[in-house]
Amino acid sequence: MSKKLSMQQRYAALTRDLDWTPDYVDPAKVFPLTSFEGIKVHDWSAWSDPFRLTVDTYHKYQAEKDKRLYAVIDGFAQGQGHLSLSDAQYLNAMKLFIQGVTPLEYAAHRHFAQLARHFDGPGPRFAALCQSIDELRHTQTEVHTLSQYNKYYGGMHSNWKMFDRVWYLSVPKSYFEDAMSAGPFESLIAISFSFEYLLTNLLFVPFMSGASFNGDLPSMTFGFSAQSDESRHMTLGLEAIKFLLEQDEANVPIIQAWIDKWFWRGYRLVALIAQMIDYMLPKKVMSWKESFELYFEEQMLNGLFKDLEFYGIRPPMHVQQAIEEKEILSHQVAWTLYQFSFAAGFNTTVPDEEHQAWLREQYPDTFDKLFAPQWAKAKKIQEEGGRFFFQGLPQLCQVCQVPMLFTEVGDPETICQRQVVYEDERYDFCSDGCQWVFEREPEKYVQAWLPVHQIYQGVCGGPSVPEVLAWYGLQEGDSGEYIGSLDHKDWLAWHATAPVGS
Amino acid sequence: MTTGTPVKSVGVELQESSDDARMVIEAIQRDNADVVVSYLPGLVKVQSPGELVIRRETVEELLGRPWETHEFQLVIVSYYGHIGEWDDDQIVIKWDH
Amino acid sequence: MPVVALTDNYTFPSRSRQELYGDDQLVHVLWKGNRMMAAAATFRAPKAMPWADFLGALVDPWAASDPDYVPGSGSGWTLDGQPLQPDPGKGLAELGVGHKSLLTFEA
Repeated sequence: MSKKLSMQQRYAALTRDLDWTPDYVDPAKVFPLTSFEGIKVHDWSAWSDPFRLTVDTYHKYQAEKDKRLYAVIDGFAQGQGHLSLSDAQYLNAMKLFIQGVTPLEYAAHRHFAQLARHFDGPGPRFAALCQSIDELRHTQTEVHTLSQYNKYYGGMHSNWKMFDRVWYLSVPKSYFEDAMSAGPFESLIAISFSFEYLLTNLLFVPFMSGASFNGDLPSMTFGFSAQSDESRHMTLGLEAIKFLLEQDEANVPIIQAWIDKWFWRGYRLVALIAQMIDYMLPKKVMSWKESFELYFEEQMLNGLFKDLEFYGIRPPMHVQQAIEEKEILSHQVAWTLYQFSFAAGFNTTVPDEEHQAWLREQYPDTFDKLFAPQWAKAKKIQEEGGRFFFQGLPQLCQVCQVPMLFTEVGDPETICQRQVVYEDERYDFCSDGCQWVFEREPEKYVQAWLPVHQIYQGVCGGPSVPEVLAWYGLQEGDSGEYIGSLDHKDWLAWHATAPVGS
Repeated sequence: MTTGTPVKSVGVELQESSDDARMVIEAIQRDNADVVVSYLPGLVKVQSPGELVIRRETVEELLGRPWETHEFQLVIVSYYGHIGEWDDDQIVIKWDH
Repeated sequence: MPVVALTDNYTFPSRSRQELYGDDQLVHVLWKGNRMMAAAATFRAPKAMPWADFLGALVDPWAASDPDYVPGSGSGWTLDGQPLQPDPGKGLAELGVGHKSLLTFEA
């Protein structure tokens, strides 16, 4: 007899042997959330977790990951690492990260704690429990890492308040709240499959490679450290979908509709990332277009969805529109943030010549024709002592909550406007995708907390822009033009050839 | 890249960090005939047509110390494909269908 | 298709419904063909606000974000997709502009 159990035996002992079936309470009362969505599960024990994690291995490796990260953070702080960044402008990407992504990690922690309680089967319960703890670790390590920058730079000081209040952060917030307020299976497909498997690489990998390339070693380390958990989360997403599809044929159309919905919701959310990749990194890693082709078209459409065909699953509805947009998305979103950055927790500026040359090279068919003229005009306004800002509030999409900046497919100069009247009220949408999501569940989306509409109700600090910005928790230097901003001035001063201590 | 490839590839992305990671990559190259390795800042991308296997014995031989397959979690960043098998001796990534 | 919900009677009021704005309403204005403005603007305006005041007090200051804008130069107005020849003295509601209506113009 071998003195040590195999991985498989240990995992079985944890997830199967420790489970029991309630006999004096109706199981439907113990697990009250897993039937109303119409998903049929006949055999929970068919769930498999390839990682076969057990409590001891989970803690052993998580502790090791944390040790490595905190060593990097310590070294960074001691060596004045923030001065070795490629440029202070790089941190706009990390401001967006701590404002918009870190709170999602916390939301995911709560979400998976809920799933860990509510699934009937012990396999998915344990996987969800591990993920819940992972997400809390990510929240903490991201805060610890970025606090190194918060000592010196703006925009990172009130991320929790900002997440709840600031207009562009309602995009990620509403995405997650939409998922968490759905049933456990839909929310699993929303977060574990659509977000973690389909789209996570578009979010994390360029962010972290960008951090590495721009001298931000702590963010790179937490990113890859988090991402190593993420590969486990991806597995949960993929196992979940295969498990549900195999359990009952009646699950297939339900799952397909969730894939359609959550692909589109997720894709609109990563619009913020598209502009980050192309416009916020001083040293570029790859363009949004390239990363979309690699991580989405090649790996997901040509890999994953070919695999899922077996179950009768087709690629997400509206995916063609996403493919069409890859040449224009990042530019349209960056241009929007440029003109609304008076109300943002980061700074923007006109891309310099070198940056525009790179954009031209990456987007030969669209950049010069469609986007360079606006940047040229904005630059001219700036040279004449002004700054182009949109002096008003934008129309928002009822579903994705992004300003209605997106254009018609095949006509990148015409803003797409969709409107639906539901129970005598008009609702606006940025795209066929968002309109479709609304029409499936209008009762849900009429409740959307749209920042612009709320500001006009007077519940966001007051009627004037300065009152709203104060309510957002923004401070002097957090917003607006980068050139001449506090971060810019500090950066120049720190890099001037001055004696130490002067 | 919208044209389909005849054999669906699978792949892993690994941290470009320690010697451990380097040896894991070398082990993958040794055990998989047609892998393509490419580099991004901080990151190594390993792609393989059809299937990719990481064998404990090969990694141990290259590292010169015992290595358990769970340790792969310390170097992996992301993957695509499906983890078909993960036991004490090997990790296999492939598509099912 | 209704929401698949845990409880029956899943109904909630809109968080942007007109009554929350008293005698005012929200109005979207899109400057067609102007690529400087990333999106249409949303304004809060009294239903009875005369068209001329709406232009002068709300639309002009916003459109002037683009330094090439000449105040009052908007033409070819549409309201919710239909051509509109606004009488400057008439109120918004009188002209048919409702809560979250979309006005477009060219300049």
